Parts: sequence; C-alpha cells; structure tokens
Amino acid sequence: MEAGQVFDVSKVFDMNCQEFWNTMPELARHGDRSGHLRECAACAALWERQRALTAGLRTVAQEWGHLQAPARVEGRLTAAFRGHAGLGARSRPARLWVPVVAWAAAAAALVALAMFLVSERQPQAPRRAAPRATELAVAQPLPDFAGNQFGVSGDSPYNSDEFIPLPNAARIAPNEDVNLVRVEVPRSAMIGLGFEVSAERASEPVQAEVVLGTDGLARAVRFLDE
Amino acid sequence: MTPEPETDDELLMLMRNGDEQAFVTLYRRRQAAIYRFAMHMSGSAAVAEDVTQEVFLALIREECGFDPERGTLSGYLFGIARKLVLRQLERGRSDVPLEAEGEDSAWPELAVHDDPLADLTHREGIEALRRAVLALPRRYREVVVLCDLEEADYADAALVLDCPIGTVRSRLHRARALLLEKLHQERKFRPSLGAWKPVRCLT
Repeated sequence: MEAGQVFDVSKVFDMNCQEFWNTMPELARHGDRSGHLRECAACAALWERQRALTAGLRTVAQEWGHLQAPARVEGRLTAAFRGHAGLGARSRPARLWVPVVAWAAAAAALVALAMFLVSERQPQAPRRAAPRATELAVAQPLPDFAGNQFGVSGDSPYNSDEFIPLPNAARIAPNEDVNLVRVEVPRSAMIGLGFEVSAERASEPVQAEVVLGTDGLARAVRFLDE
Repeated sequence: MTPEPETDDELLMLMRNGDEQAFVTLYRRRQAAIYRFAMHMSGSAAVAEDVTQEVFLALIREECGFDPERGTLSGYLFGIARKLVLRQLERGRSDVPLEAEGEDSAWPELAVHDDPLADLTHREGIEALRRAVLALPRRYREVVVLCDLEEADYADAALVLDCPIGTVRSRLHRARALLLEKLHQERKFRPSLGAWKPVRCLT
C-alpha cells in the first residue's frame, strides 16, 4: 500500500475484516489485540491511517484544552443563582442546614429591588408627564441588546415585552456587556412603573427580568407574566 | 473541618439547597468541557458562550430533571448542551465565518505531502483537521467531538446522543472514515481551491 493512497470507505471487507473494524474504536485507543493486522496488509495500512487520525484529533483536543467560557458567564450565572436560591427558600423545605445569613441576604436583595422599583413613582401619571432628562436618556433604544428596545411606548403602560428603564439608572452604552437576571418580586412593585394592580393581588409574586449593567446596578426591568 | 464535597451529585444536592459555593465549584469543574463541546460543534465562540450559560441556567432552574440512576451529571449537561447547539444550528445563527479564517486561512504553498495525515501534528495539519471536523455532518461531528476530542466513553456518549452504544461505535467509525476522506480531498484540491472558504455543515 503506497503512502497517501485512499481506501474506499464503502469497500466491503471480508468477514474477518468486518469483525475487526466493528471493534475499531477500541483498537484505535488500545491497540490491536486480535492479531488480524499481521495477516491483512490492507487493514494494517488503513489502521495506521486511523491511528494517525486519532493522534491528530488528540492534538486538536490538547490545543483546545485550555479553552473555557469567559469569566463573565460565571458572573451572570452566580447572579442568577442568587436570585433563584432566594426564591426557592419559600417553596422548598430545607433538606440541609443553610446559614440564616444567606437567606437574610437573599431576602434583603429582593426587598431592595422591590423598593427600588416603587421609589418615587406614582401609578400612570409620571409616564404620561414629560419625563425628566435622565429618563429620556435611558429611554433611548439599544439595538445591541437582543433586539429589544429600552424605550417606553407613546402612551404607557408599556408593551408587555418591553424593558422599562428604571428611574435614575445610568444609560447602557452601546456594546456594553449587560447581564439579564430573572427574579420574582411582589406584584405591588409594578405599581411604581405605571401598571394597575388590584389590592387583592398586590402581594402575589410576579416574575421579572432585570437588566444589570457591568457595575452590577439594575438598569431596566420587564415583567413576564403581568 | 468539613471535607469539600467531591462528587458532582453531592455538589448538585448542596446547590439545590442554596449553597452558592457548591454551584460555583460545580460550574468551574464542568464549564470548560461544555464550552469546548459547543465550540467544536458550532465553530462560534458566541454560540459556545450562550450554550454554556443556558446549560447551567437550566441546572439552576431545575428545568430538566436529572436522574443520577440514568447517568452522570456530566453526561446530562452534555445532553442539554447538545440540544441547545442543535437548536442554534437549526436556526442558522451560528453560520458565521470560521474564526480560523483570516491570516491563518491562507493555504500553505510549501511542504505538500502525498499523505495528508503526515502533518497532522503541525499547525496547518491541525487546522485542516479542525475544519474537517466542523464540516462533518452533525451526527458524525457530535460523536467525534464527544468521543475523540472530549474523550467521553461510549456509554456516556450513547446517553448524550440518546442512541445505543453500537450506534456510537458505527458512527464513530464512519466519522473517522469521512475525516480521512475530507483531509485527503482538501490536500488533493488545495492548489486549485485557494480562494474557497470552508463551510460548516448544518445538517
């Protein structure tokens, strides 16, 4: 067999060869223990090529072995985990002892978010009034963020799929890396952003997605099941 | 002093009870393999990043039930990653230029050998092999990535791919034959196809 000659992969081997190749993946890793290669020159040549290929693949694996997800992914996931862990405490009985401080911190984070959303806001009226300069700034569209516009509709309340910029939050710069965290807040938090919420449903939980800037501060929010 | 949990299952149990450090440990232990798998499958760092994030978000949200009786957590995570990658490929969102293109994409003019396998340990040989893997049909690409690049055993690969071990074996055999063909064709037609760009197979 000449070097570089190509075997027809559709070639039908005789029974011994077929049996040999049926176990080929293992042989490529551990070597031929069957002795077939000593008897069959064609299989021996093809097997050498497979071994070279396997060695090449191993080199590719080594070359790429250092690759890992960017650090920002861990940051986003950790934030998501904190949000999820805080929510889960209410519905899932603790099977292991969890430090009280951790739950308190999670609860405090939720309360802080809820208070942030309702601070200095009145239902409906503020959105119909002329927004302050800061609000105008954060209401600019951000085409780089997954196609969503961080804007308000002409007559609020907003469309259900829009992110609502938070008051006094800094504007997200074009190409800025933002984090999206899903949380659950009391439905009463929606009042501060112009949504009508009945008194009997005010304490119900509602899922929201919060956009966090690279500084970790909330910039915008949207409610998922209003 | 309490010993650090060793197994993925222990870490998973702790993280499901709100232990953030357990989650971080589990993430750091498994993220690189998931990221590389998505990268090898899609050829896109952006897709790999998205897939890695979504895999662990699914774990956080407990959206897909993991059953330790059915396999390892690693295999379970690969399974989620595979579905996400396939979804991305079907959308065609990962159909972006290969990152190897550019200055490195010029075909080398020197040292043309008859045997394309002779230089698989050299830079251009490695790049050619990587392109060949990326150009494999999806069902062959995923088995090569899992078994040859990530060195998963066939039982784990069978669980990830949701097929019998025998199918993993036969696909791997066929995939390697296809790789040999592709490498040889690339070498054979290289002088006349210098302006061509490698494409990714989305099937």
